[in-house]
Amino acid sequence: MNVLFRRFRLRAESRVLISVSFVAAIAALGITERTLARAVQARGTVTAPRYEVDPLWPKPLPNHWVLGMVIGVSVDEQDHVWIVHRDNLLGANETAASQNPPTAACCVKAPPVLEFDPAGNVVGHWGGPAEGYDWPASNHGITVDYKGNVWIGANEGNDAHLLKFTKAGKFLMQIGKPGQSKGSNDTENFGRPAKIFVDPKTNEAYIADGYGNKRVVVIDADTGKFKRYWGAYGNKPEDTNFGPYDPKAPPIQQFRSPVHCADLSNDGLLYVCDRPNDRLQVFKPDGTFVKEKFVATNTLGDGSVWDIAFSKDPQQKYLFLADGKNEKIYILDRASLEILTSFGDGGRQPGQWFAVHSISIDSKSNLYTTETYEGRRLQKFVYKGLAPVTKMDQGTVWPK
Amino acid sequence: MTRIVQFAAVSLVALALAPAKPAAQQPAAPTFQVDPLWPKPLPNHWLLGSVTGVAVDAQDHIWIVHRGYDSMTARTEIGAATNPKTSDDCCVPAPPVLEFDSAGNLLSHWGGPGDKYEWPVSPGGIAIDSKGSVWITAAGPPEIPGAGNAPARGGGNRGAAAGTGRGGTPAAPPKPVDAQVLKFTRAGAFLLQIGKAGNAGTNDSQDALNKPAGVDVDAAGSEVYVADGFGSKRVVVFDAATGAYKRHWTGGGPDAAFGTVGCARVAKDGNVYVCDRSNDRVQAFDKNGKFLRQGVVSPSTKGTGSVWDIALSKDPQQRFLYVADGHDQKIFILRRDTLDVIGSFGDGGRLPGTFYSVGSVAVDSKGNVYTGETLEGKRVQKFLLKGAGR
Repeated sequence: MNVLFRRFRLRAESRVLISVSFVAAIAALGITERTLARAVQARGTVTAPRYEVDPLWPKPLPNHWVLGMVIGVSVDEQDHVWIVHRDNLLGANETAASQNPPTAACCVKAPPVLEFDPAGNVVGHWGGPAEGYDWPASNHGITVDYKGNVWIGANEGNDAHLLKFTKAGKFLMQIGKPGQSKGSNDTENFGRPAKIFVDPKTNEAYIADGYGNKRVVVIDADTGKFKRYWGAYGNKPEDTNFGPYDPKAPPIQQFRSPVHCADLSNDGLLYVCDRPNDRLQVFKPDGTFVKEKFVATNTLGDGSVWDIAFSKDPQQKYLFLADGKNEKIYILDRASLEILTSFGDGGRQPGQWFAVHSISIDSKSNLYTTETYEGRRLQKFVYKGLAPVTKMDQGTVWPK
Repeated sequence: MTRIVQFAAVSLVALALAPAKPAAQQPAAPTFQVDPLWPKPLPNHWLLGSVTGVAVDAQDHIWIVHRGYDSMTARTEIGAATNPKTSDDCCVPAPPVLEFDSAGNLLSHWGGPGDKYEWPVSPGGIAIDSKGSVWITAAGPPEIPGAGNAPARGGGNRGAAAGTGRGGTPAAPPKPVDAQVLKFTRAGAFLLQIGKAGNAGTNDSQDALNKPAGVDVDAAGSEVYVADGFGSKRVVVFDAATGAYKRHWTGGGPDAAFGTVGCARVAKDGNVYVCDRSNDRVQAFDKNGKFLRQGVVSPSTKGTGSVWDIALSKDPQQRFLYVADGHDQKIFILRRDTLDVIGSFGDGGRLPGTFYSVGSVAVDSKGNVYTGETLEGKRVQKFLLKGAGR
């Protein structure tokens, strides 16, 4: 409580414009999640989408393929599920059949971009270094945009660029050059950009930039020309090293890398994952700060706010937030940013995660998650309709 | 079981494969399909480390031993077990020995350092003898080239393997080499230790072991067979009650020397089946060490080799051997009489029914197969018997 009040006081003293909704959000923070849970149970009327894991999706990969860290997921308009993974960082012992000479019949590095149909079959695969573009030293984030083009980010030390391909893997555009990042005010290169979102209304792409930089960048999705960018609270981004996050310290006025997602809602609000700061910041498309939500604020290191997806109803009433450190998906009411419930737990079994990194949703409201580090899976969570919330922490959600 | 039926209706994927080389004179191998929802989720945000041993007792309870903290990445995997904590409550290492019932419920848990014995730096195999005692070997940390990943990506803090301690604190003094076998009651009370940590033996030692990888006890519960192991290259037999040395032997037949002795399994008829892991072969002996025959499994496998662990089928004649191959990511099925490979199932991956370093295997009284995955596999899986074979 004290931390929250201190946060509010400091915020009030800052020159940040405080909107009415921002005040409301901060006031809501004064209630602990446990209190919320009690309130939810007492009211008995709160509903949230309910999910169960599909333990047999996707189907086994062909060709003895195995996945490296699965570092992005996106569902296209045909409900095909696209992932990108780090084939180049797989260990020799788990890719024995890819060694020269092979040391076993299994396994083989799968191509970095894989496309699955709704039944979980691999129906497309491509990616990797080629003439004409700089394949990332470490790919990161995949987005299939409204035109059906595929965007891939990059987060190795020198990576400073984005790539755009057709669904068939034909190269279209590269924005930025490896090794050329000049920091968070560079207007030609990125700084290890994490994720891309393309706005169908304006054809602008929003870039979470990233692991090196501390900003959101908006570009023209056809030309790649930089249009605008901003930092936390809409501030001009700075590349100051703020050191590790400290939950007892006042919130810093800049993003703390990585800026890990930047997704625009149908009603024109941009939600930005400020991952190690354990917060989600909300902006107007022009960069005006609207409000923020702190999540699991004792989380250190990698942080709690990794990726988000919006629910598929026209109002996008719910927001799904992946926390790869506490191994949960939180379900938030998007308007209030109140956490309604969460599901998942750590582990290697179906419905559990090791570092749930990315999340996406299909037209039927099914969720897809991917795991980095040693998790290395794509999993599907089947939408089971709206249900009364009975637990704040549902744990592993297996079929009933 | 109702859950399984339900899943069959939702199209459970059959993982069993046809025999590798169909031949009219070979028997049909048993067939299996994975139960993707076994065991049940662990309580308390517990995680398994590298699972090094799996065994089934006379009540069809499934026992596993895993490497716990030392096999986990402190920064990314067990944020609730480091100092300071970096996550709220997920996750922490589960106790090293876990007992499940056949429905996958966790029944008991124990293990770890104690005053009267030397807990392994890294456990290896586990066996439950006919009297219900639990045997665990001290096999030393896995020494597998190419295991793990680019360290910066995975967090890099790999406990003992990386020479660092809890939560990235300075490295502790090196621990003595694993060279012992431990015996407990099923409740975890200490009974017996054979060998001494740090006192690494040779192929001729009578009272010293060197990274024993596997253990088994004969049907009468009177003699314990130790696969010794990753350091020495032999099978050693001790009195199961006293721990007294009885006999030992090294590899037999052509190219006799064992490479890596990963397991030693005793059949009801007294024959002993030995995993000569790095030589890709199973060698069969009588209980006195007389060489009988050998069977080669996936002879093109290099590196760590193909024969990581063996389980015997539970039919009265024990007609089949199940060989866990943690390098090809398969369970091979062999005829016990000829040691011919007649089938296999499994593939590499992290989905149900696929494997990352499947290094241990066991069978229950109904013929269901259980597997343990070491290194970054970190799972125990159940495969339901669907066709008995003939």
